[in-house]
Amino acid sequence: MERPLLLGRVHAGRGMAVELTQEAFDKLLDCLGPDRDTAGGRYLEIRRNLVRVFEWRGCSTPDEYADETINRCARKIGEGEEIRDVGTYCIGVARMILREMGRDRFRQVRPLDEAPEPRVMPREPESDPEGRLECLRRCLGQLSPETRNLILHYYHGDKGNKIRNRKSLTELLGVGASTLRMRALRVRERLQLCAEDCMQRRNGRAT
Amino acid sequence: MRTERIDELLLVRYLLGRLTEEEQARVEDRAFADRDYLGTLNAVEADLIDAYVRGELPQADRRAFEWQFLTSPQRRSKIEFAQALSRVTAEVAKPATTWRALLDPIRSWNPALRFAGALGAAICVAGGSWLVVENASMRSRVSMLEAQRRDLEMRSQRLQRDLAAQVQSRPASEGPRTPIVASLVLMPGLSRAPSRTEQLVLDRGVQVAHIEIQLEPRDEYPRFRADLRTRSGKEVLVLGALVPHRTGDGYTVSMDIPASVLATEEYELGLKGLGDGQDAQDVGYYYFRVQKR
Repeated sequence: MERPLLLGRVHAGRGMAVELTQEAFDKLLDCLGPDRDTAGGRYLEIRRNLVRVFEWRGCSTPDEYADETINRCARKIGEGEEIRDVGTYCIGVARMILREMGRDRFRQVRPLDEAPEPRVMPREPESDPEGRLECLRRCLGQLSPETRNLILHYYHGDKGNKIRNRKSLTELLGVGASTLRMRALRVRERLQLCAEDCMQRRNGRAT
Repeated sequence: MRTERIDELLLVRYLLGRLTEEEQARVEDRAFADRDYLGTLNAVEADLIDAYVRGELPQADRRAFEWQFLTSPQRRSKIEFAQALSRVTAEVAKPATTWRALLDPIRSWNPALRFAGALGAAICVAGGSWLVVENASMRSRVSMLEAQRRDLEMRSQRLQRDLAAQVQSRPASEGPRTPIVASLVLMPGLSRAPSRTEQLVLDRGVQVAHIEIQLEPRDEYPRFRADLRTRSGKEVLVLGALVPHRTGDGYTVSMDIPASVLATEEYELGLKGLGDGQDAQDVGYYYFRVQKR
């Protein structure tokens, strides 16, 4: 399994890439819910949480680590291990992988001139700031005027100005600061998804 | 769990990778058990990214941030989005800042003061609007009167030119002859003001003074009456049943007064409108001075 080698950064451990059989995956789903739909929903939720944990901990490829965690859990279930809460168990496995990763990282710390040349250069994301800006503007244009006003004023200004803006918004909307913060965050997440989607379509057209 | 206070500084330290393994696990467990806590963690992460993008993080935090956040494509994408958002909010929200600067002090007023302020502002706006409308109406009226005055002056000059031409075309043997009619045109508004007195010159041979009064559109009466008095109030003449006649784009009332009843003096001419079966209504008072030579 070839992965980018990021010098001085977290990278995949040597003990990764556990194979997952269809039988083990089926048993995992059986543990997650009485029917496939329920189990599928729970599976996605667990995977999303795992990706978040690896992201929070600063891993370079959170998705791969999350899949690796699920594969290990599924293998344990396939081996007949009784697990009461798959979600909690998976988080435990993830922490074990993180510890392995930390050990690997510690072991591999060495002066740069002694480090081997990377076999695969880290792939930098497509950087197109103007395109991203255009996409963001387009996505903002799709919001209702109230929502657009909220997001633009909530995130406008630096330090002191920002605090004043947010205070004015709470007074204007008649909501508490934490409610306003969550409302703005939800709009921000929606906007980011929209902008990512727009960028993908844009890059697709360009290639 | 939900009633526990959320320590945001702890979340910042978690996101910068500064907690012990046990502390990290506690944050993660609570995040997956408590939706509010997860929401706050996401909000703190967004704020941290914004602070990085705006260069507001201290050097040590900046280094820790880069170590933790520049590793995964997901997080790099969040940073790029934050950069774009920062640019868009800076350019779009600019016009609002001036208004906000004006409104911010007002927001700190108490409700009674705000109400009074709003009322005052409303009165100012209403008063200002009324003045603007009134001013525009006045300007329009003055322009109209000015146009009428110019028109009458031109008519008067034309009449004088015609008169001069007639005098020149007369045989020399007849000698100079004085016109028997002297004309005076009185305009509404301007002539009605006692401060402005028109002049009527009556040369020795003049027998009739022809006075023409310009009517305003509102002076809609079938007939008029003119009362001529001296400025001291002595009645000179009353002319009734004067019928208005059309001239150009308006109406005038004209009258002929024997020169013999006029002396070198100031006069007041009162014009009254006569409706059907109604009392005479004041239309206006005009002032002129007669100069007999």
